[in-house]
Amino acid sequence: MKNTIRIERAILNITQAELADKIKVSRQTINAIESNKYVPSTILALKIAKVFKKNVEEIFQLEKGD
Amino acid sequence: MQTKFLLPSSAKIWGWIIAIPAFVLMILYLQFGFTFSFLDYAKNNVQKISFDNGLLFNIQYNNFTDEIGSILLIIGLLLIAFSKEKDEDERISQLRLESLLWATLMNCLLIVLSIIFFYNELFLKIMAYNICSTLILFIIRFNLTIYFERKKYKDIK
Repeated sequence: MKNTIRIERAILNITQAELADKIKVSRQTINAIESNKYVPSTILALKIAKVFKKNVEEIFQLEKGD
Repeated sequence: MQTKFLLPSSAKIWGWIIAIPAFVLMILYLQFGFTFSFLDYAKNNVQKISFDNGLLFNIQYNNFTDEIGSILLIIGLLLIAFSKEKDEDERISQLRLESLLWATLMNCLLIVLSIIFFYNELFLKIMAYNICSTLILFIIRFNLTIYFERKKYKDIK
């Protein structure tokens, strides 16, 4: 699964740490999601989408092999 | 995400306070035969019998240093291993699960190797260490993983 969190963060101009605080996870988790090392749960994906005010599919997309 | 069976993060410090002295005590007991004499128990002044029929209700002679030491060690290690991180979240839960899986596998591998390579009294001693080796392997692995994760994050920042 790939995601556009880094781009969305740049649009809102917030850091990984600020995003982490907004959705109450650790900073390493945001970092791991952005570098495609961790696939968040549905709850977390929905929370992230809510921060960026977009649909989940606009931020997370399936990749070949998923 | 809610995780069941985890203690508050303040339990960790108590775990270390209990586990470290208990660990030292158990090493002294297993390697050098150290015991506290006030924990000696002898029914009707019987002399030491190496292996009497060992149920709690009919033992004739025992020193309870190892019982107390190992129970304290297990309690301490459990408090360390299963207390929440300060920034507990779903990814840390996943890392915890992976570390636990790794620790169980490693422990089984170590047991198989000790079954093959160690015999008699030496094997019994290894089995005594085995009582808490899974927890120790887990604590080492989990904390190292978390440490490197946090370090990596700091480097990027």
